[in-house]
Amino acid sequence: MPLWFARGLRRGIVTTHYPARPDPSAACLPTPPAFRTGMIDRQLAGELVAAGPSQALHRDGDVLVFDVSRCTACGRCQEVAPLAVTPSGEFELAGTSQAAFVKKIGLVLEAGQ
Amino acid sequence: MTTLQPRPGPAASLLTAINGTTLRDRGGAETVAVPAAQLETAAHHLAAGGARLADLFAADGDQVTLRLIWGFDTERQYLITETPLDSPEYPPLSDIAPAAFTEECEIYEQFGVRPASGKPLNRVALPPHAGKDFPRLGHQPPEAPAEAHAPHTVGGQAFEFPFGPVRQVGVESLYYGLVTSGEEIVDLYLFTWHKHRGLEWRLRGRRPAEAMFLAERTEGLSATAVTWALAAAVESALGAEPPPGALLTRGIALELERLYNHAAAMAALCQSTGLSVGQAAAEIALERLLRVNAATFGHRYLFGVLDAGGVRRAPDQAALRDGLPGAYGELRRAADALLGTNSFMDRLEATGIVTTEQARRLGLVGPVARAAGVPIDSRLDQPTAPYSVHPPALAVRDAGDVLARFRVMLDEAADSVRLIGDLLDAGPGDGATALPTGGGSGLGWAESPRGEALAWVSLDADGRITRARLRPASVRNWRGFDDAARSQNVFTDIPIIEASFWLTVAGTAR
Amino acid sequence: MSAAADGEAALAERLRQRVASQFGRSLHIRTLDTGSCAVCEQEIRLLSAPHYDLHRLGFFLTPAPRHADLLMVTGPMIRAFDVAARKTYEAMPGPKLVVATGACALGGVYPADAFVHGTVGEILPVDVWIPGCPPSPLALLQGLLVAVDRLAEKVSGLSFTADGADS
Repeated sequence: MPLWFARGLRRGIVTTHYPARPDPSAACLPTPPAFRTGMIDRQLAGELVAAGPSQALHRDGDVLVFDVSRCTACGRCQEVAPLAVTPSGEFELAGTSQAAFVKKIGLVLEAGQ
Repeated sequence: MTTLQPRPGPAASLLTAINGTTLRDRGGAETVAVPAAQLETAAHHLAAGGARLADLFAADGDQVTLRLIWGFDTERQYLITETPLDSPEYPPLSDIAPAAFTEECEIYEQFGVRPASGKPLNRVALPPHAGKDFPRLGHQPPEAPAEAHAPHTVGGQAFEFPFGPVRQVGVESLYYGLVTSGEEIVDLYLFTWHKHRGLEWRLRGRRPAEAMFLAERTEGLSATAVTWALAAAVESALGAEPPPGALLTRGIALELERLYNHAAAMAALCQSTGLSVGQAAAEIALERLLRVNAATFGHRYLFGVLDAGGVRRAPDQAALRDGLPGAYGELRRAADALLGTNSFMDRLEATGIVTTEQARRLGLVGPVARAAGVPIDSRLDQPTAPYSVHPPALAVRDAGDVLARFRVMLDEAADSVRLIGDLLDAGPGDGATALPTGGGSGLGWAESPRGEALAWVSLDADGRITRARLRPASVRNWRGFDDAARSQNVFTDIPIIEASFWLTVAGTAR
Repeated sequence: MSAAADGEAALAERLRQRVASQFGRSLHIRTLDTGSCAVCEQEIRLLSAPHYDLHRLGFFLTPAPRHADLLMVTGPMIRAFDVAARKTYEAMPGPKLVVATGACALGGVYPADAFVHGTVGEILPVDVWIPGCPPSPLALLQGLLVAVDRLAEKVSGLSFTADGADS
């Protein structure tokens, strides 16, 4: 039996079991952010929108609008506010409608607003 | 403008020849003002003195200013000549340095200025429908450029047909003009305007930190090299010095980039020769290397590592030390098996030959040039930290064929692993120096997996980019592809030659 | 919606599911680069690599649009490429799917301007969107499986808030 063939059988199957089982390599992938709703006020929202280089974040009044489809997972928003913005860990992001990607995050308002 | 004393070397000798003045001398690149009337003399002088024309570009302002970047690879520096043009014509530089032809075409499309030779210029960067209002770095040329045509003809025995831009599955769009007499390739020319995103135009008005996001995506497979060149240009312009730990981190990222690109080229070589087992073996190595990248720097393709002034992330040293030996071991095993497979080696030998003379004349860089016997490597020729302290070994071969390029890539991959070990031991870190306020201009460079990547930038007093020139290695090396394809090759050799060059369309079209 | 419109929508959905289940057994993919930076293409090429092996799921890459069932489109749809994009799509026989792949194709990197449309959806009718810069091969596999209804899409149910609160 040729050596490369025997070596292959001995070393086993390299391929992933995904989607039947999760793949451990997914742990190192960059993922879009998750926002702590209790910690983001208008000021921080403005800073987050300014930090993002893609078209993913914008502010609509008292709502931070996050379009996941446009996120490149660059991490700049997390650098601005590491306690308020953390990696979501989600990489299975495919969607069948554009509306499914647009997330609205309510901003913390001061009393009286 | 104060007159600086030129240091002894090529600039001093040039200045004597043309009675010019030094404008700037910073970070391994000297800038010399050359009046338009003296440009031809200067170019002759520099070419005769052994300089390599590394780039030619223009910038708009009160006048269009032409800049030539010359590489003095033994004197360890670059020389930039700066020539404001007072007329829409300038001396035909491609007569002196044939390497300049594509750039002359690009300058005509963007700025409307042309060489005085009257030779037709081809459309290169802008699409056919680009009218007066199409975004340009300068002004629309008075007459539209010609469509590219085959430079070599075979008198009635050949037919010419377009191929692409939608071609094999899973590769970038690329539009070839193929001239053939049957199976043999008589000529091959390329169109890349369908992938022109206007990167240099988009960078105008941005601050360096914002510019990094787009610069990474100029040629994503060389993200580290292109952002390093741009960051170094900004740092040179403003007089900023990144922290030493950050420079070590940059070196690690660049060598990881080189490793995975060479693995990917090997996989593409196997695919092009129809060797599925070899392709699978190379892809196992490639995937493992990309996972090492993700574990070390948080991104499989090393996006988001560099910043103007330093780096945004430090490497995960434990993950890198842990993962790299196994990944490289896979690459080495696959390569050894391929080097012992005669049917594979037969396809590579004497295919796609680039001669030493062609490589020098066309100003080729990187493994393509080194495999053709031209010993250039910007890590050694214009060394900056960390390579000034940790130099790589030069991998040079003579044959200039696909096999020579493959061997050069394997030698470089082995050396990259050694370099990464040395850089890790030296203590890489993160951090960036705050950029000083003010403006200026500067040149930056890095040795991408495909060769020398250059960037030149000028910043206004507010620190915003007024002109950014991005010149990934692909801009230089595609012109070698048609010569390589013509040297007695047939259609089925084209993918093999393309894999051995391992360029991108994105990097040249920008 | 009126009863007739409801009926039509239900019929269309059943037809879509039947087509998707046909594709689920064997689906041929043609890629289309409308101006990417080349990294998305590298991740797509890795789908046929041993670590991911899309063949075990019944997917195949094909160079011929005439054989293809699904068009995987990368890049921000550079305007100079419009004609080539439409010709490739029209060369595919129906039923066919379009999967916009990567942040460029979804409008995340380049806004619409004189160079680019900004999103693939301006020129082609998109069925599935796969975010990422680049989307890793695992994300691409999930996207393909969603396209053929073998996996339910997740993203509409995710809030991307760390405390699980919705607005």
